[in-house]
Formats: sequence, C-alpha cells, structure tokens
Amino acid sequence: MVFSSIPFLFFFLPACLLLYYVVPFRVKNYILLIFSLIFYAWGEPVYIFLMLFATAVDYTNGRLMERYGRKKKTRIFFLCCSVTINLFMLGFFKYADFIIGICNDLFRLSIEPMGLRLPVGISFFTFQTMSYSIDLYKRKVKVEKNYFTYLTYVSMFPQLIAGPIIRFSVVMEELHRRAISWHDFVQGSLRFLQGLFKKVLIANNVGELWEMIRAAQAGGISVACAWLGAVCFTLQLYFDFSAYSDMAIGMGQMLGFHFPENFRYPLSSVSVTDFWRRWHISLSTWFRDYVYIPLGGNRAGILKHLRNIFIVWFLTGMWHGAAWNFILWGLYYGVLLAFEKYIIKDRLSRLPSLLQHFYAVFIVVFGFVIFVFDDMGQMGLYMSSMFGMAGNSLTGTDVLWYLKNYAVVLSAAVLLAFPLYPYLQKKAERLPQTGRMILSAAGAVSYAVLFFLTTAYLVNDTYNPFLYFRF
Amino acid sequence: MRNKDVAFDNKIKSATVVVTAGMILLFVCLFALMKKQDFSEGENRYLKQFPEFSFESLREGKYTEGIQDYLTDHFPFRDVFMGVKAETEIALGKRQINGVYIGADDYLIEEYQAPQNTDKIVGQFTKFAQSVEQANISLLLVPTAVTVYSEKLPALAPVESQMQTREEIYGRLGDTGILLVDCYEDLMKRKEDHGLFYKTDHHWTTYGAYAAYEAYCEANGIAPVPVEQFEIKAVSDDFRGTIYSKLNDAKLAEDTITIFENPANKLTVFYQDTKETSDSLYNYEYLEKKDQYSFFLNNIHPFIEITNETADSDRELVVIKDSYANCMVPFLVNHFRKVYVFDTRYYKGGPSAFLNENPSVTDVLLLYNMNTLDTDLGIGGIY
Repeated sequence: MVFSSIPFLFFFLPACLLLYYVVPFRVKNYILLIFSLIFYAWGEPVYIFLMLFATAVDYTNGRLMERYGRKKKTRIFFLCCSVTINLFMLGFFKYADFIIGICNDLFRLSIEPMGLRLPVGISFFTFQTMSYSIDLYKRKVKVEKNYFTYLTYVSMFPQLIAGPIIRFSVVMEELHRRAISWHDFVQGSLRFLQGLFKKVLIANNVGELWEMIRAAQAGGISVACAWLGAVCFTLQLYFDFSAYSDMAIGMGQMLGFHFPENFRYPLSSVSVTDFWRRWHISLSTWFRDYVYIPLGGNRAGILKHLRNIFIVWFLTGMWHGAAWNFILWGLYYGVLLAFEKYIIKDRLSRLPSLLQHFYAVFIVVFGFVIFVFDDMGQMGLYMSSMFGMAGNSLTGTDVLWYLKNYAVVLSAAVLLAFPLYPYLQKKAERLPQTGRMILSAAGAVSYAVLFFLTTAYLVNDTYNPFLYFRF
Repeated sequence: MRNKDVAFDNKIKSATVVVTAGMILLFVCLFALMKKQDFSEGENRYLKQFPEFSFESLREGKYTEGIQDYLTDHFPFRDVFMGVKAETEIALGKRQINGVYIGADDYLIEEYQAPQNTDKIVGQFTKFAQSVEQANISLLLVPTAVTVYSEKLPALAPVESQMQTREEIYGRLGDTGILLVDCYEDLMKRKEDHGLFYKTDHHWTTYGAYAAYEAYCEANGIAPVPVEQFEIKAVSDDFRGTIYSKLNDAKLAEDTITIFENPANKLTVFYQDTKETSDSLYNYEYLEKKDQYSFFLNNIHPFIEITNETADSDRELVVIKDSYANCMVPFLVNHFRKVYVFDTRYYKGGPSAFLNENPSVTDVLLLYNMNTLDTDLGIGGIY
C-alpha cells in the first residue's frame, strides 16, 4: 500500500487516526503498532516475519548488552552479534544474486541465482536497528525494555518503507511520552498534504514524461530531448522521494512525533558537497556517523581520508541497489567530493552563483542518468544521445512537443525545486494585514482544490510507481 | 507577524484541515452507502469484485492487492473524477493522454507507434499464401485516422508513418501472388465529404469502409454498388467509443453511426459459436449499450457464415479480419453468395484448413488496420 493511493488515504489512514486519538495514551503505541504491522503485512505477508525477527534480535542484544555489558569486550560482542545478523540479512536478501552473478562471471561458474524478492524497506529498517545497537554500545541511548515499544519504533508505518532513517535517539523520549496537540495535527496534516500533492501531481507527471522519452530514445531523439529526459528523471526522483519524506514527517507529527528533515532543496545546491548536505540527509549522516567518522574521517592524513571517502561512497552507492550502476553512481560522487575538497577548494565559491548552481545541477542530473539505468548498455546508448554521438541532431520537434505537453507541470516542478515558497512567505510577512489574510485564505482554497485534483488522479491511477522497492 | 494575523492564519489552517478531513470522511460514507456497480460503461470494462479469501492468495499478496483494486474501482463518482482529470490535463496543455491525441474539430486520434512485429506479420501472410491454392487472395491494410486525418493532429505530434510500414509489408509480399490493395488514395479523396473515422472510437465509419470497398472492387474487377442504390440512414447519434473510454470526459463530442442498406438483399447470417441465425448484419440491441460499434456483425464472433441469395455472383469469399471489416462486410455481401468471416484472434484451427476443406471458396480477403495489425497480433491465428 503506497501513501498516495485511494485505499491508504481514504480507508487506512482515517481508521488508524480515529482509533489512535480515541484510546488512552498507554494504548496509543499498541494501536500504532497494530496498524503498522497491518501496513507492512499488507504488502509483505511473508517477509513481515523477517522484520519481526530483526527487531527481536536487536532488542535482545540490547537487553543483554545492558545486563552483562559492564566490560567493553562483552559490549563489543553483543554489538558484533547485532551488526553481523543485520548485515547478513541485508546481504542475503539484497545482494546474494548480485554476488552470485559476479562469482559466475569471474570463475566461470554456473551457480543458480536464488531469485529472492527484496523485502520492502529492508535497507531502511536494518539501518535503523543497527543505529540503535551502535548508539547503545556508545551509551548514547538508553536501553528499551519493552519489546513492543521497540517494535513500534522500527515498524512505525509513516517511515517504515521509504525512510527517513530515524535513529532511536531522536524518538526515544517521544516513544514513551509525547504530547498530542491540535496544533501538531494541523501542521502535520498540511505537511502530509504537501507531500501528497508533490508525489501525485508533480512526481508522477514528470515521471511519465521521463518514461516516454526513455522509450523514444530507441527510435532516436535529439540531444535537447535526451537532456530534458534526464532533467525529468531528476525531478521525478527528487519530488517522489522528498514527497515520501514530507508525508512521513507529516504523519509523524499527526501522531505526536517530531522527525528530522530529510531534504533541504537539494536541487538548489551550489556544489556537490552542498548537494549531499541537502539530499537524503538521514542516509548521508548515517554513513557519516557510523562509517566515515569511526574510520577516522579526514583527521588521519590525505591518504586515509581518500580511503574513507572511497569506502563511504562505495557503500552509499551499493545501499541504493544491488547493481553496478549504483556502485558507479556512488563512486562518481566519491571522486567528485574528493576533487572539490582537494583540487577545486574554494575556487568554486568565487564563481558567480549562477555558475555554481549550474555546475551542481549538471553533476546531479548526469549522476542520475547513471543511477537510472541498471543495464550498462542502455546507459551507454542514452548517454550517446545526450552528447550527440548517436548521429542525432542537437534539437528537434520532439523536445518542443514534450515541452508543450508538460509546460505547466515542468515549470511548477522547477520552481518548487528551489526555496521559492519560504522566500515568498517571508515577503508576505511585510504585506499589510488584509493582504496577509487574503493570502492565507487563498492558501486554504488551493489546498482544497489540489486535494480534489489529487483524488481525481488517484482514482484514475495509470502511473503511480513506487521507486524505492530496490532500496 | 502580529498576533491577530497569527490567530487568523491558524484558524484558516485548521479550517483547511477540517475541510479536507471532512471530504475524506464524506467519501468513505458515500462509499459505504452507494450501490456498487459491476460494469463501468464509461471505461467499457468489468470493475473488480471483492476478492475471495484464501490462504494462498493472502500469502502471494493477491488478496490485499485485490482489496486495493476493489476500493479504487468502486470509489464514489469515479466517472466524474476521471473526467476532471482529463479536463485538467487538457487545460494544462497536454495533447496526448493515454495514447490518444486531442486533435482539432473534436477528433480524438489513437497514436501509432513504431512497429515491432513486421517480420512476423510478413511471415504469417507468406505462409498463408503458400498454403492456399484455389482462391485469389487480396490483402487490404487500412491506414487509421492518424494517417488519413493527420492535419487534425496537434502541432508537433510525433507520429510514425503507417504508410512506410505498409509499403515495407507490401514490398516484401510482392512475389507471393497476394493481390495488394491500396485504399489510401480512395480514403484521401473522400475524407472531406464525410467523416471517414469516428471522433471517439478507433474504428472507421461506414463511409470509410465504402471508400475501401471501392478500392477492393476495382482491384478485383468487380463493379461496386453505387452509393445511390443504398438506403443511407443514421442509426445512432450518441456514440462514444473506445477512445472516449480512455479519457472519460463527458465534455467530449458524440458520434453518429450511419449504415448503407441494400433493401434487395436476402440474407441468412449464422453465428457458429452461439448457433444463432439472423436475417440482418446488425444487432440493434448494441445501440442501447456503450459499445455501439458492436452493432455491426453482432460484436465479436470467431466464425460467421453469411448467405445472400440475391448476390450478383456465385463466388464465395473468406474474410479474415479484425473488427474494421465488420462495417465493410455489408458491402461485400452484395457480390458473394457466401461470405465466411473469421476473427483469427478467437478462431482456433486456422482458416487455411477451412479453405482446403471447402474448394468452393473463390476469394480471400485479409483485412486489418495498421494499428491493431502490429499491436493485437490476431494474424498469429491465420495460419
């Protein structure tokens, strides 16, 4: 069940919220837990046991670490248990066939691939539970004594299948004590609706255009058209993913939780370094805190720093999927980040800001072309179209036709990818009182209209993909 | 911001959330109260039923998926919402929706994509020609509205050339002995006089079929029945066909269905699958339904046998075809005492076997439109 669907929006969510609000506080976590388990079992009736197992392992390890872990050695032992089991699970379900494929190629073997389907959200929840074990080892969090509370944390449906990766330390207190307020409900609802609109009205539409251009590429497209396609995919991924985070943060707030932001207008970055501070923040900080810094970060000389960058970005790429293109995509960023750090240095920031934006967007858009094709041959063909090496012309009627059809959606997407909305809000504060009142009333009307439109799009659901099934 | 504004802003935000939540609850109530329909007239398909529970289907995830489809399919005012979506997209400048171009003069035109199956198609026709000895075989590949009314397409619309594909197929069939009939010129000549294609359906009109019928007659040395000898009448003026169903927007145009009847014909029409016999090529019951084109030849039948006692020859014709032929057969019966009609998507056994068992058959017409020829692959069954 995806958030942007009729069943979730009109049946699951209202039922969950109604029950959640009427029961007394001590039962609220159980209601949330039951609905979360239904939510996960709805799409993964079998693999839900895997998630229950993973949480049971980390819960038990946590209790044991607390009970017997006065010595550092025993603590390490339990930490290793937890991390090994989690990584083994992730490795088995996500990377087994990839590794078998590599072995077959290298050693000319013919091991049967296992053909396992990837459990939805496994990369998210294993990272969450590992963060708990590691933080517990470092004594940064308190041990959770109630298994069901711990399970509620991991399985909480707003963030279970597509993040953000919320660390135990962030919600530890709210799991036990949180205020449920009308204000939070209103703010959370609006945030959820913003995410819903972004996903249904923008991401799905630019995604549809990307699919069309990708399909047309085989028959020959112009250079301009190929770039339009790459931009569309970039916009689709950003709006889809950040919309999921918006919806998760919004629903969390409706339930009384306060999750950290996961995206901060990444397409308005001025450098690659800047981009990774704004894109999927919960993942990049996870790798920073649990891999990069423990390895020594940048404090052990250039060579070690470069090694650390390489490891982190290799892993970041691989986290996104079991295929070479994801690894390539990760390393692409590793190289660029090292380049910015050691070669370009602050020369970039002395350029006109328009050029800085242009540079960052170019890198990001090109990067997502690596990201989207898991077939290297296809990737090569598409890139040859992008650089006019497929015997194609620079521009043609194709790009004009697509622009004409998607002009409104594309303009909206480009504008909303920049922090225009907060900027206008600030400007609006200087308006006279009546002006401000009219604006907030107009805002309310547009929410209603957009909600109506979103419903119309969802009822007629021809293109509504879930992009994260590979993560 | 002053306090008064903050309070006002908060009130407005609360109101927004209350209204949205109210809308959600309202639709849930309507869903519970409204009668569920089995069939969507607008989309011309059966809506999903509530799935039956089994442990197996739960384990495979089909059960929950079935519930999701059920909830989406029976959402209140589904048709209205679909219209709203189409209208919004058109208003936002989209001129191609679900594979349909929004053309000038209310024309909705189905797109034509690069052909994928040309080799297979040529192979099927060649094998068929080799297996049939006694009869003259004609092949009539009909360009669709996207070619004939290309000037009505939205500006810049990217369209593959149907004529190029047809030339390739005709070229490769050159030495098979099949008579390759060209109806393009005839259609182009008459396209201003009458609508040769429906505005809301992927089929041609009876006028379109007549133009191709003339081309067929000319190629086969038959004198076509002149237009004046037919009783021409409009049988429906509220037809909204398959292309309409892809958009479901009530604001779109309606089509008229016209037929050319020859009052002199004495017909016996036998539908082999249902064992029904009729004296008419039309089934008026379909004019009351959504899918009015099924009026011609009573919708889909794998095999139909038509006898016309007043035909102007004793020749017998086998028509192997897609649904485009359904409104052309009424012209062909004037010249053949017997017409056997095969829909090879559903007829099992292959018409070539039938031909070898029935040496009285003198002519074969293979008739397909350029769109379904490649996408539907009914010709997989001709041999």
